[in-house]
Amino acid sequence: MKRDGPDCEIARLFGAQKERLAAVRPDLIVMFDTDHLNTFFLNDLPVFAVGVDKTFKAPNDEPRDVPKYTVKSLPELAAHIRNAAIGAGYDVGMTQNFSVDHSITVPLHFLTPEVQVPVIPFFINGHIPPLPSSQRCYALGQTVARAIASWPEHLRVVIMGSGSFSLEVGGPRMAPGRSDGVLDPDWAIKVIKLLEEQQTERLITEATEHQMLKAGNVGGELLNWIAMRGAIGNRKPAYVAPQMQNGHAYGVWQWN
Amino acid sequence: MSIYAVNYLCREVLRDHAFRAAMKADPAKALAPLDLTDEERRVLLAGNVGTLFRMGVNGFLMGYLARFEVCGLNVETYNQRMRAVKVDEIGQPVA
Repeated sequence: MKRDGPDCEIARLFGAQKERLAAVRPDLIVMFDTDHLNTFFLNDLPVFAVGVDKTFKAPNDEPRDVPKYTVKSLPELAAHIRNAAIGAGYDVGMTQNFSVDHSITVPLHFLTPEVQVPVIPFFINGHIPPLPSSQRCYALGQTVARAIASWPEHLRVVIMGSGSFSLEVGGPRMAPGRSDGVLDPDWAIKVIKLLEEQQTERLITEATEHQMLKAGNVGGELLNWIAMRGAIGNRKPAYVAPQMQNGHAYGVWQWN
Repeated sequence: MSIYAVNYLCREVLRDHAFRAAMKADPAKALAPLDLTDEERRVLLAGNVGTLFRMGVNGFLMGYLARFEVCGLNVETYNQRMRAVKVDEIGQPVA
């Protein structure tokens, strides 16, 4: 499989999303993401956190062929989202003067020209157990949506969720000769099916910590998709395209 | 705090290019000032990432040792040594 260049599979899958994103002309992207111990570390590891600053730097982990960006953000709205979440019972941490890793930068690099759209990162710990529950991440997404809706300024907002459904990176369950491996392709296919069929309740019931960790040491990144689903409501996707070499998918939900 | 120090130095191999260069040139010298136990130092210098994983070091962070080829590691040796670790269904080491 060709992994690099403008005609590789990843660029093609991102390309379809990029067209739809450009048509929306977003004022803001709120991105649910799992930091890979780069923005945070084991000395300061939040379960949930929001990046609150005018800009942030990306990437901080040297992904191949990705330039460095200074990404704009909307700190007042980010603080509003955090305040609303705390008011709703989610003890959400905060970071300022921060940088982000490939998990935010690579999607932005492929999806937004020159990375000019402001982005608010919402971090969910999907890697270091204990993980937050799927139910809680779904409800948190709903809370974030309500917070955005209550913001007085009218904005066109895109919600993104970034992450794998089944992948082991650097752990003992890697595929032979590789630095990663898809452990539970059946689970990844089931997740995609449940997303396509709007079976959200079943998805969050089946996405237990045990199942996500069984699917790989980064399998908890599914929580970002679940929070995104909470934020946008139980809508039918325009499409969810599997990308099984990495145990994940590229999906779009769009409505007026 | 000591396993924390191993986790931290793994990320420093990514972050601190001078430390990365020192680890590639002379890992024993680069590790000398760090607060590690004798066992951690010995296992690190031998590139025994499987043993480090059983001691509690994060697999994702140790991947940087292979990515930047320090302590005699590369993707192939790292893969073989990590895959030799017996783990349970959720990836935790078992005896």
